[in-house]
Formats: sequence, C-alpha cells, structure tokens
Amino acid sequence: MATVRQSHRPVEQILETAQEEAQRTRERIRKGIDILLARDEPPVGVTPKDIVYSRGTLKLYHYRPMADTVYRVPVVFVMSLVSKPWILDLTFGQSFIQYMLAQGFDVFMIDWGIPRPEDSHLRFEDYVQDFMPRSFEHVQRETGEQDFSILGYCMGGMLALMYAATNPDAPLKNLVTAATPVDMNGMGLFKKWTNPKYFDVDRLIDTVGNIPPEMMLRSFELLRPMDRWGGYIRLIDNLWDPMFVYGFRIMYKWTNEQIPFPGETYRQFIKDLMWENKLMTGQMNLGGKLVDLKNIKIPVLNAMAQHDHIAPYDATSPLLSLVGSEDKEEIVVKGGHVSLVAGKNAIGRLWPKVADWLSHRSV
Amino acid sequence: MPATNGSSSSTDSATGDAAQLWRAWLSETERQLNGFFGEILGTDEFARLSGGFVDGYAVIQRALNQQMERYLNTFNLPTHSDIIELGERMNNIEERLASLEATIRSIVEQSGMETTARVTPIRPSRTRRPRSEA
Repeated sequence: MATVRQSHRPVEQILETAQEEAQRTRERIRKGIDILLARDEPPVGVTPKDIVYSRGTLKLYHYRPMADTVYRVPVVFVMSLVSKPWILDLTFGQSFIQYMLAQGFDVFMIDWGIPRPEDSHLRFEDYVQDFMPRSFEHVQRETGEQDFSILGYCMGGMLALMYAATNPDAPLKNLVTAATPVDMNGMGLFKKWTNPKYFDVDRLIDTVGNIPPEMMLRSFELLRPMDRWGGYIRLIDNLWDPMFVYGFRIMYKWTNEQIPFPGETYRQFIKDLMWENKLMTGQMNLGGKLVDLKNIKIPVLNAMAQHDHIAPYDATSPLLSLVGSEDKEEIVVKGGHVSLVAGKNAIGRLWPKVADWLSHRSV
Repeated sequence: MPATNGSSSSTDSATGDAAQLWRAWLSETERQLNGFFGEILGTDEFARLSGGFVDGYAVIQRALNQQMERYLNTFNLPTHSDIIELGERMNNIEERLASLEATIRSIVEQSGMETTARVTPIRPSRTRRPRSEA
C-alpha cells in the first residue's frame, strides 16, 4: 500500500505542475493579446480633482480632500516640464497625491500640459516669473491662506528652486525637492552628449522649435539601452501574473508617453545649465534677477535616489550646500529616478518621510 | 514517506532555484550590457557622432519644412507657420480675456457687490496637527 501511495505522489505533482503551467499559458496568451490590442489599459491619474486655474496648456489642479481636517499650509506639487504628471498620481494604492491627501494635506498640482508649436518661445522666465506666481495666487485664493509649500520633482524641483531664490519674500513656507539636479557636471551621459564642440543647439531649436517627444524618448533610452529589451523579456516571463502586467503597463505607458520640450527653454537649459552650470555657480539670470540659491532660507528637504540614471546622485547631492536655509535635511533612497517617487520603494520610504517632515512645518 | 516528502520538496525547490537563477542571470546580463554600452556611448567619438546626427537631422528637417511651405503656398493652403501664428493670436486673446476677468473680479470684490450664487465646495477645517503632537 505504502509503495502504491508513494508512486502516485510524483504523478500527482507532475499533473499539478502541468495544470499550473497550462493555466499560466492561458493567462500569458490572454494578457499578451490585451497588451497588443491596448485593451483594458490600467487607469492612471485617478485621484478626483478640480481645475481651479488654467492658462494655455497649464492646469492647476486642486485635489478633493480625503481627511476630516487638513494642515493649514497647502502643498503644491510642481511637475517636470518634460514628463506627464500622473507619475505622482499613478493608480489606486500607488499614488503619492492620494497618500498626501490621506495624511491630511491640502494638495494642488501644476500640470504644465503638452507644449504646442506656438509655445516654443517660452523660457524659464515665463514659468518661474509668470505661470508659477499666478498659480500660487490661485492657491491662496482657494485656501484663504497666504502660505504654501512646494514639492518639485526633477525639473519641477529646478523650477521651484529658481522661484524660491528669486522670490525670497514670497509666502513660501517649505520646499521639498525630489531627484532635482543642480550640478550639471554630474549629469553623466547627458553632459557628454551636449558637448558644445559637437552639439549645435541653436541650429536644432531654430529648425524644430520644440524638441520632439521621440527625440526625448530616444535620449532617455540611450542612457540604459538594455532596459527596454530586459523589460520585454521579464514581461514574457511574467505574463501570467496580473499584478506584474498591471505594473508593467503603467510604467511602460508613462515612459513612452514623452512630451515635447519647449524650444527656448531647452536652449536656456543647454547653454546656461549644461554648458555653464549657472545654477551651481549662482550666475543664472532670469529676467534681470539672479538665481542665487543662498537666498533660500526656508526649510528644505532634498530627496535623492542612489541609482538615479537620469538625475544622477552627483548632480543632485550638492543641493543642500547651495541653499541658505538652517532647517535643511536630505534623504537618499535606494532606487532610481522613478522608484524614488512611485512604487513600493516610495510607499515605504519617501512618502512617509515627506509627510512627516511637512506635517511639522505646515501648521 | 520521508523519501517521498523529500523528493517533492526537492522538485519544488529545483524549479524555484532554476527560475531564481534565470532571473539573476537576466538582471546581471542586463547590468553588464548597460555598463558596456554606457562606456561606448560616453566616448567623445559618440558625442561627435550624435552631434553630427542631430545636425544632419536639422538640415533635412529644415529643407523639408521649406519645401512643404512652398508647396502649400502654391496650392493656397495654410502652412505650419500660419497655424502657429493663429495659435499665438488665440493665445493673446485668451491672455487678454483672463486679464479682463481678473480685473472684473477685483472690482467686484472691492465694491462688495453681490454676485450670482455659486456652489461653495465644503472644505475640511485647517486645524490638523502632526501625529507627534496628538
């Protein structure tokens, strides 16, 4: 009897394994077809919000509250010019915005929109000295509070630094920067590719106006050329896993939906920042005002990712040494440019840190 | 019995080990290849090549733009420049409307005039304190 029972076990296991593999293969086919036909796309940017100000392509969102009481000082998320903002409001359970709302913050976001051909003349001055102040006025009107905090991600952090440095008397209470480069000498391959000996930015901008999104996408891809193919292989390996596929599709969508870079801003970015590193040297001039980060005296929290290949650690780490604040802190998280603010890493590390830091400074 | 139990767990762990090995190999290969390509892409030669590519692209694009403008003008059709100009004019109109709106709002607020009723969203009170103070 024992011998018969023992001999059935391997057969049962083989049948079980075969059944599991068959089930997975069915899921792989189904999910594969969904992806190829772009069916059942995961929803993104899901947190309910109202547009309280719009101008050109800019939209200022006020997110609907999720707590019974909120902190006095609202927080305004300032997004990068070159990527879609819903990375900060990814999906259910993975939204930085939702997390902050649940923690009791009154949350706004400046969404720059997708630049049109006629926006190619926009410069840093337009964003920092016009669009941002007008948006903050609307935040003040909406909340009835003068004070506000800014959280800037990537180039949004650069805009926030420029605003704070050129408006030291503004009622800006706190500044949080995430993956924000300040020392362009640390920008790795981007610095090498924009070498003034070989890169004629004037000819490019004079011809195309805005930098096309395809060019933006290819330049980001070239930073790590194998990532796309490694991603496809992992996807095929895990096509049976609905959670993996869901996460892959969201990140794939965000990575591939690049937006144009306004031409004159790009020209300034290359000449003033990449070539002459003026943010680092305090020589950047915006409409007659010097961007001296020493003028920033408010509390600053700088978040960096250790393995950020887009805004490398060498480019982001000098930030605190440049500001004039006494209350300043930094947090370095294992991970990359995106996982700093979105995903499991962010949920466990950055979000609670930002919420806690701001909570003590938003009353 | 113990032998059977041992062999069932060894089958599962063998499968798991193989999958783990495959994933580790994939990650390591990806990392090494990225490093390899990164070194090539970081050379001066590549920078010169990519700069030349961008220049070439700009030259071709400019020629195409000019040619297309000529064709469209010939057929009396709006060109890219015409559309951009139209967009800029609409922008200016929007800016002026926004400015008028702001002026009117300011006048109304200063005069204390009653405006048409609008729904005021209910907002939570701004009295929250940090958890550590609770």
